[in-house]
Amino acid sequence: MAEAQTVGAIELSAIDLAIAGGLVLVAGVVSVLLRLGLEKRLLLAAVRTVVQLLMIGYVLKWVFDIDTLWAILPVVLLMILAAGHAAVHRSSRTFPGVLLRAVGTLAMSGFITTVIVTGVIVGAQPWYEPQYLIPLLGMVLGNGLTGISLSLDTLLEQLVERRDEVELHLALGATRWEAARDALADAVRRGMIPTINSMMVVGIVALPGMMTGQILAGADPLEAVKYQVVVMFMIAGATSTGCIIIVLLAYRRLFTPRHQLDSAAIRARGKK
Amino acid sequence: MSETLLSTIDLAVSAGGTRLLEGITLKLHAGEMLALTGPSGCGKTSLLRAIAGLDDPDAGEVRFREQPPEHTGWPAFRRHVTFVHQRPVMLNATVEENLRRPFRYRHVAREFDRDRAVALLKDFGLGEEHLAQEARTLSIGQQQRVSVVRALLIEPAVLLLDEPTSALDEDARSAVENLLRREGHRNGRAALLVTHDREQARRLCDRSLDLREHLPEAGPRMRGGDDG
Repeated sequence: MAEAQTVGAIELSAIDLAIAGGLVLVAGVVSVLLRLGLEKRLLLAAVRTVVQLLMIGYVLKWVFDIDTLWAILPVVLLMILAAGHAAVHRSSRTFPGVLLRAVGTLAMSGFITTVIVTGVIVGAQPWYEPQYLIPLLGMVLGNGLTGISLSLDTLLEQLVERRDEVELHLALGATRWEAARDALADAVRRGMIPTINSMMVVGIVALPGMMTGQILAGADPLEAVKYQVVVMFMIAGATSTGCIIIVLLAYRRLFTPRHQLDSAAIRARGKK
Repeated sequence: MSETLLSTIDLAVSAGGTRLLEGITLKLHAGEMLALTGPSGCGKTSLLRAIAGLDDPDAGEVRFREQPPEHTGWPAFRRHVTFVHQRPVMLNATVEENLRRPFRYRHVAREFDRDRAVALLKDFGLGEEHLAQEARTLSIGQQQRVSVVRALLIEPAVLLLDEPTSALDEDARSAVENLLRREGHRNGRAALLVTHDREQARRLCDRSLDLREHLPEAGPRMRGGDDG
């Protein structure tokens, strides 16, 4: 039922979307026949998919029409704040000032990496061209927040569970850096592993969503691959610098200038 | 009078917002072993941790050779005024690695002397074969002896011993006490021994300070937990 073809992509009509909806209907019928009791959830999920994506579609349409830096910055800031909030709330432990540090980390690692990609590698004109900046930043922040929350979680867990070991090092004359080094290295490593793993299997286990999207939109597969390579490297760079920055910021907060571990500052996050 | 190695001036400590001890002024001279005695929960461990700078005191000062720790920096201070935990803390590694680790710290600035390590272990009733053993597979008594040997190897001027025999059986306790009696004074070293056992204080120490005289007016609220 597809009609006109614009800029390489086949445009979808309302009938196309209705047919796709029919596929969900099949799942609903299966649920009824097998008495899985999932019909209501499935219906709700389908409606939410449409509504949420439509909303973000309108938001992106509005954002992409913005052509001044001052108008795009609040959007960028909002994305960074949301990512920072999500990063610290995934961690099971917390300490005072963690949100500020997570937001600062994502701003430094995510925003700077994205700007290098849009401004230097892709060469978007201007560098803050929303069509490039927003999706790329979104991908970087999404991966970055996973990395920094894993790093934070690991660091805080190590400092709580291995407090005696850390204090043993301090008691025998280690500097705070020498005492913390094992825990810091573990935390950075843990945060970076998912990104490295995804680079290992990309293109083998599954095609990345961005590349698939470009191919469906009519792009040459090799061009799509080039973009995907840039995106993977951008994510790897931003995530690893993010993990290092958050771990160092947490270290500076949790070890005092008197080379003590301020373990009282680490608290379990209340269950919601 | 021999050199004053460690002194505290009007030290006060608290835990969980409750003042435990105050007005602790003491001098520890070279070659001396001083006992700090008091009942469980009176703040002995908190006091020793504050002296080691692992926690901040509420008030007062600590000095090593008449200088505040900031003079040399806290790591250098702790390398000379070394705290030994009440419950032995072993790294997840062999006994030898546990003994070697402090020699990698910048402020220790010495070479690991394996012969001396073996000799000390033997004095503590542990053989050379224990060096290759995973430290956490040792009994608590053996771990505590390794813990004291680890501290002794870096040749601190002052040992801060937090109830070092409280977790040990009779034989292990007597082995640790014998070693402390000999090594505690070696080359003018001094030791501050925290204990609730007044008999042990008498057996090992030249003099003792009863911390009950330093409880705040109302007395501390006794806490649970591991504060000795």
